[in-house]
Amino acid sequence: MGHKRLNPARSVSHPPFHLWGCGESDSPESEATRIPLSPTQVRSATPASVWTPAEQKPSLGAAQGSLNSQREPAQQRPLRLEAPSRSAPSKGSTSCQRGRSGRARLHGDRSERRARGPSLDLSSGTRGKAPRLKNAALLGPGVLQATRIFHTGQPSLAPLPPLPEHGGKVRLGLIPEEFFQFLYPKTGVTGPYVLGTGLILYFLSKEIYVITAETFSAISVIGLLVYVVKKYGASIGEFADKLNEQKIAQLEEVKQASIKQIQDAIDTEKSQQALVQKRHYLFDVQRNNIAMALELTYRERLHRVHREVKNRLDYHISVQNMMRRKEQDHMINWVEKHVVQSISAQQEKETIAKCIADLKLLAKKAQAQPVL
Amino acid sequence: MNENLFASFTTPMMMGVPIVVLIIIFPSILFPSPNRLINNRLATVQQWLIQLVSKYMLSIHNYKGQTWALMLMSLILFIGSTNLLGLLPHSFTPTTQLSMNLGMAIPLWAGTVVMGFRHKTKASLAHFLPQGTPLPLIPMLVIIETISLFIQPVALAVRLTANITAGHLLIHLIGGATLVLMNINPVTALITFIILILLTILELAVALIQAYVFTLLVSLYLHDNT
Repeated sequence: MGHKRLNPARSVSHPPFHLWGCGESDSPESEATRIPLSPTQVRSATPASVWTPAEQKPSLGAAQGSLNSQREPAQQRPLRLEAPSRSAPSKGSTSCQRGRSGRARLHGDRSERRARGPSLDLSSGTRGKAPRLKNAALLGPGVLQATRIFHTGQPSLAPLPPLPEHGGKVRLGLIPEEFFQFLYPKTGVTGPYVLGTGLILYFLSKEIYVITAETFSAISVIGLLVYVVKKYGASIGEFADKLNEQKIAQLEEVKQASIKQIQDAIDTEKSQQALVQKRHYLFDVQRNNIAMALELTYRERLHRVHREVKNRLDYHISVQNMMRRKEQDHMINWVEKHVVQSISAQQEKETIAKCIADLKLLAKKAQAQPVL
Repeated sequence: MNENLFASFTTPMMMGVPIVVLIIIFPSILFPSPNRLINNRLATVQQWLIQLVSKYMLSIHNYKGQTWALMLMSLILFIGSTNLLGLLPHSFTPTTQLSMNLGMAIPLWAGTVVMGFRHKTKASLAHFLPQGTPLPLIPMLVIIETISLFIQPVALAVRLTANITAGHLLIHLIGGATLVLMNINPVTALITFIILILLTILELAVALIQAYVFTLLVSLYLHDNT
């Protein structure tokens, strides 16, 4: 197990891609082919540009690091790399497991190897072959530059830079301020004016500029121009500004109208939503109404039924009453009839005579009484 | 003096190289055409002016006439700017040359005539005879009308040339008179005043552009629409 221990002085280039088989990497053969690379060797072997792509592939955080980590002696790299891998075998696993763990980290290993750049690994995979730079050109800076996107559209479609607020400052309407600033350190404030005056006088005196008829026309034209500009310049500028303001105001108005319209729509929508929330009141009221109507109908029908039944029963009662009355009347009539029939003529005479005698008695009594 | 009088109308040369083409192209620099909505003051004022002029100038035409809008507007801008720039001292005005004015007038006039003859042949031919002429006068009148038709481009060109040249010459002369009188009699203040007034009148050269384009316009109108 000694060959599996961490040996900082020894193997440098960790060949990450031949860890398939178990123990393959641990053959003394492969170990012998591992050549420790000194930092100078490493640095001379690679162009400086190859170091840059390390930033593009930060797949393994622990192993990649930055550019600086790459410039460290190459011996330390496998230290960092193999420490996690050897931690597994330090627990007593075999080299096969290390191979498996290496395989699991193959992708990271490969990218780490690429990021390292000059992996001059004379490993078992390249036994006997000449040393070469692996994958150094793959991620050269050329790729970086080639994938940068340049003009993807017409320049006229790009947004224009904004106009400056004021133009450059000029003196005398013609000469930019920078000229005066340029001469200021050497000649002070009056420098440019003296230069101008001197030049004019020089031209006049040497007749480089000849006073002709055109001089007077020049004087009149320029004088007129200066007069007009001084008098009406500001107002024309304000007019131009007003034109622009009108343009902007129009568009702003459209924008505001659109915003307002949308805001109104939002408010309407919100109020509609609120109304929808309160819709249940409406349904409750409707439900109540319906319940009441049903109740009413029920009561009404109940009442009608009651009335009808009562009518029928009253009918029967009245029929019974009528029958009874009829029977009574009939009985009375029959009794009267038979009583009258039973009264003979003689009985009738006797009764009448008795009644007359009674009446006479009564009359006498009645006469006798008021005398008292 | 006599030689100097017409010296300003010769082809401008700079060390033996004719730069007249540059001078003709120069006024176009003064009319920027930016792609923005909001421009600087110069571009805004120019835009407003062009809109104003084109609105008034093209309102007369029908659809077919309004296809000439670009031509007419560039014409008026070119002639106006070259005339105004010619007022500056020691400058050369291209429109003082008859060659150039003829080069502008003849093609434009011919265009309108040909267009009129193509689209409204009968009406164009009918222009040659005014209404209500007595019968014996007809042949003579047709000849006269033909002559007047063919004189139109020449008139346009010569009108412009003569006006501008005369204006420049006058300025030159009166300036020369002022120069001479300065030594003799400083009552030249009066003459300078006259120069000033003359200049303001000459700035009506701009009105001449309008006259030019207007005439062209009227002819276009007559040929196309009537």
